Order: sequence, then C-alpha cells, then structure tokens
Amino acid sequence: MAMAANALPPLIASQLNYLLTHSPLPVKVDQIWSGCKNSFLSDRFTLLIPFCLDYIRWDVIYNAQFPLAAPDIIFSPEDENFHPLPISGEGGGEVQSPRSSLRDWNSKDPSRLMSLIHELRDVYMSYQRKRVGELDDERLKFEISTILSREGIEVGIISGADKPEEVKFAVPLLDMDLNKLVDGCPWKHQQKIYLQVVFPVSRKYSSAPCAPRVKLISSSEIKALFSTDDVRLPPWVDGMCMAEYLPTLEETLKAQVHFFLSTQFPKQQPVLMLQSSQHFNSQGAPIMSPPLVDYPWSPRWEISQMAERIFDFLVEESLSFKKYCNETQL
Amino acid sequence: MDDLPLQKIAISGPTLASIIQRFSSSPGDVDGLLFGHVAHLTPSDLPDDDGPESSSIRSDSPTLVATITSYYCSGTVNSFYDSLGRIDVNALSLLLSDRGPGRSLIGWFTGRRKTPLRPSMREFSVSASLCSKTLNLSPHEDFLSSLNSPPCVFIIFSTPFSDQLVHTHEHRAFQFRRSTGVFEPKSMDVINIGPAFRGHYGTFCPSSPFPWLSCGLSDTEGKSHMNLNQMRRISKDQKTLDSCAEGFEFGRMSSLMGSEAVNYTSKLENLYEKMLAKLEELARLVEKSSDKVLEQENRNIKLRQKVAGLE
Repeated sequence: MAMAANALPPLIASQLNYLLTHSPLPVKVDQIWSGCKNSFLSDRFTLLIPFCLDYIRWDVIYNAQFPLAAPDIIFSPEDENFHPLPISGEGGGEVQSPRSSLRDWNSKDPSRLMSLIHELRDVYMSYQRKRVGELDDERLKFEISTILSREGIEVGIISGADKPEEVKFAVPLLDMDLNKLVDGCPWKHQQKIYLQVVFPVSRKYSSAPCAPRVKLISSSEIKALFSTDDVRLPPWVDGMCMAEYLPTLEETLKAQVHFFLSTQFPKQQPVLMLQSSQHFNSQGAPIMSPPLVDYPWSPRWEISQMAERIFDFLVEESLSFKKYCNETQL
Repeated sequence: MDDLPLQKIAISGPTLASIIQRFSSSPGDVDGLLFGHVAHLTPSDLPDDDGPESSSIRSDSPTLVATITSYYCSGTVNSFYDSLGRIDVNALSLLLSDRGPGRSLIGWFTGRRKTPLRPSMREFSVSASLCSKTLNLSPHEDFLSSLNSPPCVFIIFSTPFSDQLVHTHEHRAFQFRRSTGVFEPKSMDVINIGPAFRGHYGTFCPSSPFPWLSCGLSDTEGKSHMNLNQMRRISKDQKTLDSCAEGFEFGRMSSLMGSEAVNYTSKLENLYEKMLAKLEELARLVEKSSDKVLEQENRNIKLRQKVAGLE
C-alpha cells in the first residue's frame, strides 16, 4: 500500500512524535494514510510495537475532521479476542484497564497517545500470558509457573496458517545495564540481550519432551558490536527446564563481554587492546591484538565525540580482529 | 429466545444505497443505527413427500433472518457512545424516541475509510454494551416481530486501500453473539424485487406509517369530555390532515361521478396541475434547506480546522 504520506494535522502529529521520541520502547511507524473524503490530511497510521522479540501491528484511527475525538485502534487479525476496554454493565475495577488515557481524552496533550499505547501493551502482555496459561500443555504450565517471576519476561503464542502452534518466551539476560558499560554511548533505548525460547505446543503427555529452539537475540544497537550468532550456547539437555538452563547461559555470556577504558581518559589518549574470549592460542591463553594507537583521535574534540569515534573505531576493528582470529584458527 | 444465531442478514436495496451514499458524502467517519426486525423465514421449498428422508432434511432450528429496513446516520463519530465505548443511554433514547412501530433497533454500523473490515477496540465495546441485558431502552410495540432479540447486527463500511480497484466501497456484516462475545460474520442479502425474495413480502413493513389520529372528532358529546389541550391537539391534527388532503376534498371527488362526469377531464387536469405545483413547491423548499445545511456544514468544518490548529 504505497501512499503518499500527506501531512498529519498538528495535534495528531505532536502526539505521534511524542510517542516516537519519548517512548522507552523502539516503536516504529509503518504507514500513514488518510481517511478523509478529500485525502488532504492524513489521520491514520500503523504502529509496529515491539513485543516478545517481534512486532505487533496496530492501526491507530484518528479523524482529522473531529480533532477532539480520541483515536480508536484496530488490532492484528490474530488477536480478535483481545478486548482491553471494560464493558459497561459488568463489574470492573481492573488495575490495568486503560481508563485513564481514553477517559477525558485531551487532544492537546501530546503525551496521551504514548500513555494509551503503553497501557494497551501492558494489557496485551497479560492477555498473552493468560492465553498461554490456558493451553492444555503440562510442560508449558510448569515453565510458566517457574519462570514468569523473573522480571521482564514476555511470552506469546505464535500461530500460523500451516504450522503448528508454538509458544515463544523472550527472556532478558544479564542484569547489568549494557548502556552503562559503554561510556558515552549514543544509544537511545535500553539495550539488552535476550534468549528466545520457542516451545512447540503439545497437548499430549510425553515423558521425553523435545528440546525447544533456543536462540540469542540482541537489540539493534548491540548487534553492531557483539554478534550473538557466534556465541556457542550451552546445550539443552533433555528434560531440562528454563529455570535450570538460564543460569549456565548467563555465566557463559558474562565471560564474553569486556569493555575497559583507562581512567586517564580523556586527558591521555587511551591505548586500545582487544582480547578475544572465543579464541585461544596454542598455550591456552586468549588471543590478543597488538596495542592499537593508530585510530582517529584529537585532544581538541569534545569528550562525547572522542567516545563516539573510539566506539565507531572499535566496532570496525572488532570485526576485523574477529576475522583475523577465525583465520588463524583454521 | 435471545442470542439465537442468525442465518443471514437482509437489507433493502434503497436502504443500503442510502447508507453508502451518506457515508461517501461525509467528510470523515460516521456511525449510525440500524432498524428493522428479526423474523423466521418461511422456506419456499416445502417437500410434499413425508417420507423418512425428508424429515432428516428439514432442520429443527429456526431460520432467523434479520431484515434492515431503515437507518439513522449521525454524520459523526461517537454519537451515542464515548471513547471507551460506553453507551450514552440518554443520547440513544433520544435517537429512538420518534420511531414508530415496526422500527425497532436491531443493530448499528460504522463507516470508516481505508480501514480493515474487522471490528475495532471501541466497536467491540459498543456492540457488547448494546447487546447486554442491562441496557434499558424503551420497549416498542412491535407486532410484526415475534422475537425479542437484542440489537446485535453490526456492519462495517469501508473503502479499499488501493485507489486502483474497480469497486469504491466495501462492507461486512456481523452478528455479535452475547453468549460467546464474538463477532460472527454473516452474509448480507440485498432485497430487490424478484422471485427469490418472495419470503420477504410476508414480513414487509411500511416505513412511512400514517400519522396516528384519533377518530370521532365530529361527535359533540365526545368533545365536551375533552380538555382544552386535547381539543387543541385534535384541531391541530385535523389541520395537518386537511393540508395533506387539500384540493382532494370529498365534495370535489363526488363531482367526478354521475352526470357531471362529462367535465371530469378538465377537473382531472386541474387536479394534476395542482399536484405538480405542490411538488414543485416542495422541491424548492428542499433545495433551500439543502443550501442552508451546506452552509452550516462549511461553517462547522472551518471551526473544526481552527480547533485542530490548521489555520
């Protein structure tokens, strides 16, 4: 649906921009189009909202002709049973119901759309958890009961037309704040490394359930620096559960993340040295690069720019260092 | 008796065309109410043979058809509900107050351009609230509809995303099942004249009923029992009736018969001329009021643009 994105009217535009700039989640806009008779003004758009290491598509429907009205939302076709609004006549009082954003809608308040989306996403998370909990799968019920107490886990059902139902867990790893590890890092959103675990839904009891598909996924900015594809994951032993698997995985992962900068920075140009945690020489010591001083540097730069240039340089250099390590190992 | 599944939804051709026209001429999204009735449809092919095979073919479940005969379009959104989808019972009762018999509420519709044909977050809430048992609308004496079903028909009107398609409008009809909280898509038949729609004639209901006027006005004894208000109303109704029947008084009609029928050609022409003059007058009135409505709408659009910060 390629359509020229005509201008959004100012009130709607400010709400959308506020959402995109202030939200801690990396929400994206897919398409913007008009629902007006003369299509001079755009008033509807599709949001891609991150959930469970994927995106959910929600159409946000405003009306340029009725600027004071609150928007309506059309959810994805798979979520036809997702109903976040309370129904009048029924007992309510749920803590998570999005009454606060839609009630007394103030179209002049730019933060309203963001609070609405966040509230609805929270309700959506509970909806997915409930759906998974209602599946008739003993192993999944067990996994949920043992693992969902960990903070930040998201779970969802994947169902496709031809493939069997599966349940995906997105487990954030490593309690440490990765953003803080990189001084002066330009990343806007909180970066994390996740473990994606996909279980097939099997409604019949099996004494030896098959291992789930396990994969490491890192958020977008980290991908440039640290490729999760190369990390050798500890094997999943049959009969294991996530609560057992996760600690071993986290230990392995911790050992592979190193960032150090000397305390003399920024007065002295730091000497950079790369040490591989994945490659070892014949003596069993980790392979190290020669000291690197030949990189873009000027003491007249702003500190943040110094950090940024070092960062960019390190990204490139790490990749070539890794290549070098891989080649020497062959 | 309630929440039985509908076999299909039927809508009269002019009603459907009118809704689409109303939607397509409005600057933004619209919503509205659907009126009609739910009835059993008599199957047109009753088997003559009462053998064991035929009894298995005949189903026991009733063939329910919801027929939409008229509608009301608000021209705006959130007309009888709020942003959370909660029904404003006062607003809804007001919209239903001047409907005559045979026009019970059977559902509602929305028109929203370039959107998917599935119910939105708010539309679910509104439909569920409309169908809920706790909604107390003033009951109507609907002698044609033997079933008291909740207003559960919901139709989405939209336009295709791509501009290059042949058709300009799309619609999908649903029945909201209160018991399951699910929208069930239903096929929609457009009723036109023809042998396939014979079953509908039995359930036909005129949509412009004659105004209800009390009888026995010339009874002087009766008059003395009435108070001033009643007399005033009756004479007002009488005046309305007289204005409708102007030029067609009974005395004039009698001149069309008997020996005076010789002159009936000129009298007929006279009558036709008067009728045409009336129609012309009516057309002019409609034109003038349309102009006024357009002017007002333009003023409204300017105000809205101002509020939206577009000026």
